[in-house]
Amino acid sequence: MKLQRNLPRIFLPLVFILPALLALVGGYTQWVTGYLYLFIIQGYVAWLLFFKTGQPFYGYSATMALGAYTCVVLQRFLNVPSIFQIVLGALFSSLLAIVFFLCTSRAKGFYAGIASFLLAIIFPKLIEALYPITGGRSGVQFYGLSLLLGPSNFFLIVVLTTTVIVALIFWLINIRAGKIFTLISENEDLAQATGLNTFNFKLLAYAIAGFISGLGGALYINYTNSISSIDINVFTSVSIFFIPLLGGKRSIYGPAIGALFYILVPELFSSIERYMDILYGLAYILIMIFLPDGIIVGLGRVINKLLSKIVRTKNMENTN
Amino acid sequence: MVVQGIITGIIIGGILSLPVMGVALIYGVIGILNYAIATVGVFGAFVAWQLLPYGILPAILGGIFTSFLIGYGLQQFLLNPLIKRKGNDLTLFFIITFGIATILSGLIKVLFPRPTISFEFQSLGILHIASIAVGINRVIAIAIAVGILLLMRFFEKTTKTGKSWVGTSQNLKMAKLVGINVEFVFSLVSAIGCTLGFIGAFFWGTLYNLTLTTGWDLCFLGYIIAIVGGIGNIWGGMISALIMGIIISFAGYWLSGMWQSVLLYGIFFLVLVIAPKGILGSERSI
Repeated sequence: MKLQRNLPRIFLPLVFILPALLALVGGYTQWVTGYLYLFIIQGYVAWLLFFKTGQPFYGYSATMALGAYTCVVLQRFLNVPSIFQIVLGALFSSLLAIVFFLCTSRAKGFYAGIASFLLAIIFPKLIEALYPITGGRSGVQFYGLSLLLGPSNFFLIVVLTTTVIVALIFWLINIRAGKIFTLISENEDLAQATGLNTFNFKLLAYAIAGFISGLGGALYINYTNSISSIDINVFTSVSIFFIPLLGGKRSIYGPAIGALFYILVPELFSSIERYMDILYGLAYILIMIFLPDGIIVGLGRVINKLLSKIVRTKNMENTN
Repeated sequence: MVVQGIITGIIIGGILSLPVMGVALIYGVIGILNYAIATVGVFGAFVAWQLLPYGILPAILGGIFTSFLIGYGLQQFLLNPLIKRKGNDLTLFFIITFGIATILSGLIKVLFPRPTISFEFQSLGILHIASIAVGINRVIAIAIAVGILLLMRFFEKTTKTGKSWVGTSQNLKMAKLVGINVEFVFSLVSAIGCTLGFIGAFFWGTLYNLTLTTGWDLCFLGYIIAIVGGIGNIWGGMISALIMGIIISFAGYWLSGMWQSVLLYGIFFLVLVIAPKGILGSERSI
């Protein structure tokens, strides 16, 4: 019990310290790890909004992209300093999430879900329509912080920011607002019956999720130094949504574990990139059917079963 | 220009009403949102394109057979057991049907030699009515689309199978109680929905190129139209398809394809704010 209670305190420094060491190594491993951290941020956004607060939102690539493209516009046309670009990117994303919630708040849950899914489909089209500003499918080059500060230094910033965000989310779900988010997700009528204004709390959840997603997007463009409409297509959105499912939607560590699998496993299959869509599709289906509580819980069950079988066999042998 | 725009709009709307009807039918009867219908349809269209050297009829029959078989097989062997075990879990079926669509997109990339196709048939001439000129091919396309929709209504009203799916959509428990093979009904409806997706994709391919992402574009248009009309409501979907078709047609004079999609999403959002259940309201029964 004591270990379980202290797990976040152990988990967080591990998340922070271990990858930070990769800054000493540099190169591709460091680059992929940074990328992994950017998707851990997005995975936690999906976990907080969809799985913790129960809000049917699938448009994560749109909020992420808005954060990134805000940086592009502010740098190319207004020459705004990087730190303000990142903050404004996060704020605009938060605003998008708020507007989306206000517009769909009267609609039934799954209508809002479809609307957000369609938002993920339409956003790349909007980026392509704004080709002169955004570069559309060809993409746009960006003079990001990773060029200014150096890849290793910015990698450390990404790791640090991710750790702070995850720590804040851990804190958030343990304070009153976080508990109300869970209550809304479990039983909104009950939450209303206790006199809570659930509308305000849902609005807060959208605002926070939008802000973090936009912040993640702004870090993404500063890390990769380029972005195109292909990077933020509907697959990105569904993949972000899938990250907590992959790791375990009920676990606070689910998004981190899910992102780990989501980013690192495809690296193993890079030689058969042509078949990646088929493999992704199969993974979506098989995970949902056979590991609905995520990889770790599923594997834990299998290991427990195996262990209990071994113990039983040994007991039988001893009896004989 | 106005009349020409309306006619083009009606043709686009008529074609779009096919996948919309597929969406409405599947949601109406089975109660799940299937995001793979349009991609199954586009996959069928790629099969049809591959069979074109053998003639137009084998090509169309090949496409119909493929999409029908995929729709039936998926429902029978994958979705029905899941519905039985987990009910109509929206998140589950969102990911599962998205996964199916992703696999099919991947298969199109791997199996077919060209990633972009279109169906260009020899023009059968131009029909002149007063001062309006319409290609006969397009008139045939809209006639077939409307014919299929009417046939569907006729099938529902007059045949035992049609009545069984109306009954299933209205009261699932009662349908089971009176001995309707609900799983067969679900599989048949899924097969027909995917076939409608194919016919829509095929006609879409006579107007525009079909690519790896067309399935998502048609899914996007299909769901926008279905929701604006009232999801699950076939008549609402058809009216909405015609309105959206006319909007696409007129927007085409001034806006690029990308901006047209943005405009449609704007309209969809406006409808969601003003009438959250669509123009004619949502209904699960057809």
